[in-house]
Amino acid sequence: MQNIQHKRLGLPLLGLGVGLRNQHFSYLMRHEAQVDWFEIISENFMDNFGYARHVLERIAAIRPIVMHGVSMSIGSTDPLDWHYLKRLKALAEFVQPVWISDHLCWTGVAHVNTHDLLPMPLTEESLRHVIGRVCEVQDFLQRPLILENPSTYLEFKESTITEWDFLSELVRETGCGLLLDVNNVYVSSYNHGYDPEHYIRNLPSSSIVQIHLAGPTDCGGYMVDTHDQPVPTRVWHLYKLAQELTGGVATLLEWDANIPDFPDLVAELRKAEDALKGIFPDAAIHKSGEADVVSNPVDFQLSLKR
Amino acid sequence: MTDQPLSLLQHWMKTVVTERGSLSEKLQSSSEQHGLSIEDVVAEKRGLSAQTRLSIYTSGYVLRLLDCMRADFPALRNFVGDSVFDAFAKAYIINRPPRSPSLYDLSADFPQFLEETKPQKSPLDAQLSSMLDLPSELARLECARAEVMRAHGTENDTVRAEPFAPFAIFNEDITLQATPCLRLLELKFPLVDFLRRSDQGERPEPPTPRISFAAIGRSNYRIHMEEVALWQLAFMKACEHPTSLYSAVQHAARESGKETASVLAELVVWLPIAMEFGFLRQVT
Repeated sequence: MQNIQHKRLGLPLLGLGVGLRNQHFSYLMRHEAQVDWFEIISENFMDNFGYARHVLERIAAIRPIVMHGVSMSIGSTDPLDWHYLKRLKALAEFVQPVWISDHLCWTGVAHVNTHDLLPMPLTEESLRHVIGRVCEVQDFLQRPLILENPSTYLEFKESTITEWDFLSELVRETGCGLLLDVNNVYVSSYNHGYDPEHYIRNLPSSSIVQIHLAGPTDCGGYMVDTHDQPVPTRVWHLYKLAQELTGGVATLLEWDANIPDFPDLVAELRKAEDALKGIFPDAAIHKSGEADVVSNPVDFQLSLKR
Repeated sequence: MTDQPLSLLQHWMKTVVTERGSLSEKLQSSSEQHGLSIEDVVAEKRGLSAQTRLSIYTSGYVLRLLDCMRADFPALRNFVGDSVFDAFAKAYIINRPPRSPSLYDLSADFPQFLEETKPQKSPLDAQLSSMLDLPSELARLECARAEVMRAHGTENDTVRAEPFAPFAIFNEDITLQATPCLRLLELKFPLVDFLRRSDQGERPEPPTPRISFAAIGRSNYRIHMEEVALWQLAFMKACEHPTSLYSAVQHAARESGKETASVLAELVVWLPIAMEFGFLRQVT
């Protein structure tokens, strides 16, 4: 199952993976892993030395692990949180992840952490700021940082750079890698009125090391990144385009609310193989008239269920 | 256009997202603090207003964290009901915005918040007044249990503990220490059985107030939560650092008013259980 066919940034092609979630611990301790690799939410394991750490150790012994963070806040104007980074590094020493990723975003300022992935003003000042911090983090972690494009719901009037140009320059200046979330591209392009294919075509494809897939929710007038639905057809098309441009990179299905049973999750992931052959799942975008649709759900990290 | 450095924009948006009130009240507050209006900051495109765009972040902030708190306190929710729980949890989120990158720290101050914001006690109905303490006490117990789930335990001890023979306590060389995951609580209600029954999907009657002591530990990744007697609590507290069994017995006897011989006699039965439950371990 494990393919190491070509490397970018020295990082291998891992194949098809899913997020390691508490809800699947019991299943995974009794069954085959069924996927090529797992992604963990770094913060979910950083301060957890109980059963979750035990499961992680077992899974890491049989499958590659990627650490995906949500609290580095690389774009914040607060100082870097070195206490956080030291714990991140300690977890990396334990897990030996294939790479470490986070998001192009800020999660808070003035020492408040909103636990949301807030959008960056895309300006020259922001770019210089993020470049400096990525370099600091990479020096500390002694490895390239992989950054994901977030889903966004607003743009700043102050912004002067497109997100794809911002990411491209960031890659060029720092040598960091990209985690291309094609669902986020779809969500943001819908919300801001740009062409998602243009976005993907204008990224430095040789620096993309991973792709995220997920299902959004159409809230009528805007799209929200809910991670709680099957991947819609439109996103599968973007996935195929991205894989054609990259030549093939690691794929990860995110599903963080209404999490299905593990076999159903794997079945959804396997649709990626069909999509690459041009056989696209016929899946409409989920619509919701509810007012309480939440982007980037995080409560799965605290579930007491196993 | 006003000059909008990155730091100013982030402080403006953080204020809008985390401040109390309606969106217009949040915007007013942020405008007063940072001198920027929504029209200055947020672009409008595709006919979607800046207010709608911003409200995705403001409402999402509270709802996202509310979902986390619901996951942290299933028994408290079961006891007070969803609407009461949500009202207090939302107030907590607004009043104590999270500062830690870890969601495990999100609810740490919630028991104290419940204690501080509970209705004032009425002298007219003492029983009703005392019940106002129950939510914060239950929250304390649920927080402690979650801590035990995540704390360092004894599962990776290099030397596996042998089952503790009951009469081994008469060996004077025994040194004991509390496990790193042990949590001890003094509660205003006997809540261990209440929480256990709530876990099983019941809606148990609230217990009558009385001081109780709870010990929560973990062994082989299984959580053990027991109501303990005062002498047991004192014994385990004495073992916070490596302590000879006899010193801990003397401490327990002193704190509980029991005879030393009586504590020793009860230890014969209880100490093997305390070690099996991951409350205590023998150290060399």
